[in-house]
Amino acid sequence: MWGVTDQPSENLYMPMIAVVDEIFDETPDTKTFRLCFEDKEYAKSFSWEPGQFVEVTIFGAGEAPIGFASNPLEKSFFELTVVARGKVTQMMHELKRGDQVGIRGPFGNCWPLEAVKGMDLLVVSGGCGLAPLRPAILQILANRKDYGEFWMLYGARTPADRDFKYDLEEWAKRDDMHLLQTVDIGDDTWKDNVGVVTTLFDKIKIDARNTVALNCGPAIMIKFVTIGLLKMGFSEDRLVTSLERYMKCGVGKCGHCCVNHVYLCTEGPVFTYQQMRALPELKL
Amino acid sequence: MKASETWVLKKTDVSKFFAGVAKEMRLVAPRYLFGGDVTFGVVESPGEIAWDYGHVIYPPKRFLLPHYEDMFRYECGPPRRIRLEAINEAPPQAILGIRSCDVSAIRFQEKFFGSPIVDPYYKARSDSTVLFSLVCNAPPKKECFCICCDAGPYLNAGFDVQLTDLGDRFLYEIGSEKGTKATEAGASMLVKAGSDDIAERRRIEVQADLLFETTAYLAKAIDFISADEVPDEIWEELGSTCFRCGACTNLCPVCTCYTVDDRAEADGSFTRCRSWDSCQYAGFTREASGHNPRPTFGSRVQRRFYHKTSYPYIMRDGRHGCVGCGRCISACLTKLGVPDVVKRIRRGMHKYLPAQDRAAEV
Repeated sequence: MWGVTDQPSENLYMPMIAVVDEIFDETPDTKTFRLCFEDKEYAKSFSWEPGQFVEVTIFGAGEAPIGFASNPLEKSFFELTVVARGKVTQMMHELKRGDQVGIRGPFGNCWPLEAVKGMDLLVVSGGCGLAPLRPAILQILANRKDYGEFWMLYGARTPADRDFKYDLEEWAKRDDMHLLQTVDIGDDTWKDNVGVVTTLFDKIKIDARNTVALNCGPAIMIKFVTIGLLKMGFSEDRLVTSLERYMKCGVGKCGHCCVNHVYLCTEGPVFTYQQMRALPELKL
Repeated sequence: MKASETWVLKKTDVSKFFAGVAKEMRLVAPRYLFGGDVTFGVVESPGEIAWDYGHVIYPPKRFLLPHYEDMFRYECGPPRRIRLEAINEAPPQAILGIRSCDVSAIRFQEKFFGSPIVDPYYKARSDSTVLFSLVCNAPPKKECFCICCDAGPYLNAGFDVQLTDLGDRFLYEIGSEKGTKATEAGASMLVKAGSDDIAERRRIEVQADLLFETTAYLAKAIDFISADEVPDEIWEELGSTCFRCGACTNLCPVCTCYTVDDRAEADGSFTRCRSWDSCQYAGFTREASGHNPRPTFGSRVQRRFYHKTSYPYIMRDGRHGCVGCGRCISACLTKLGVPDVVKRIRRGMHKYLPAQDRAAEV
């Protein structure tokens, strides 16, 4: 007999059913999925912080950890931005409106947006690394007066590879934040900077003693951004990064995401450079 | 009859006693297979139990953390309607004749799976399991080093019931509420232990301590590994002989890492299933992009030893992640068992330590 399990269950490995409400194309290999829980009571109790993630079950394929990418103030739905890479994410890209997925979570810690109130902010992201930072940016913009100067640097491979182009357009128009963009390879329409994201460092005017940097992007970008920011005088506990690893359970049991003794899924994914330096396996 | 009391059970009553226990739960015990091998399995009658066995290569951890554990089933139809059905099977069971090292390992796993987040599958199984451990008073096998790991050959705590073979009788120590409850059915067969029984038990303890051949001087290696002082060259040299077979972690009674798959069934439904994984496999950390943060054999051997023998993990788990059962020594084709690696790290470090440290280091 098949039982229909729509109630939140005690078993943390059982997913809750959510429905694909809308799908947005971001880049040729990236889509954003807007999801709503079927159980409206559960949807009301579901809350999360920027930086956290969920385990998404694509029925028939398996499960993968994906970070929240939407506005955390929006309670009726959440969005996940996914690059088609592995078995689960490729199958996720074939979903249509109305299809069901399984959701477990939210898991992990969050960007320290409370702790850095009153300080200047520098957000550096590359490629799809903007996705886990987007909720943080939207939350910062919603509470703009709580923070000082707000600089944002975004790099992508080509102009077409930029995620959230609709947001970038809007953010570029705002006068309460500075958005600088760059691409590795430009095209005829591209008027902005060409080069890796660190080439934008000469163009920003910040006081490193009163600024917190939030970074997310490919490992190689994080590395050079960190080197550059340390040179600019950032202290190690003001460089904040979201790490990622192959992951299965999301609750610190399966062992895959361990870096030394730290489980990225429960103690991360957001770490300061100071915390990361205490993990020899990262070889920083 | 309560926890921490000591009794005696005559060997002529053993089968009858455990037949009584079997009314409440299934019995998992060592039994001889054709050809004389011993392995743990569900026994139909207590007469099958190999009370005189030495050691088993295949630890009984699979009765708490099965190789393949079904977590839930789902059906992808009718179109766009997913139906989920939870699975959590935990038959009441008594594991009889389990050795002290394996009991210590199960207690380690219970702590790991029980905090800070509770794993419902492991908890259900461990809640319905009673451990009747059996003190090792036969000579240990040459690979055993539980004595270095505070995990045997006898236990002072952690057992539900501990049996010690005193020739024609077992000393029967009750260590927990669960043990008390499982004893109720056969209570009439137990008699209070006398001073000679206790004295005999002490003699066996002292005797057992003297018989170990293998010792693992873990402390020094824990220092080096925790401080990340072991150079990559040593890890790569160790890793250069690894076959990536995973035997060390699969046979380890402590190891818990698992992977998760959605298995397609013949009727078109799917079962989410978790199964043992090993940090020694290259695919353990390989990401969908192909990037692997632990790309070399050496980095994976390092991972295994960081988890087993480093202070941060000792602090987290309350003990080191090795119980000295020696199975990795028996299983590894290329001497990557815990004591061998510890020794090779200690000796290998001589090359890298300043001369004055080296002198103090023999």
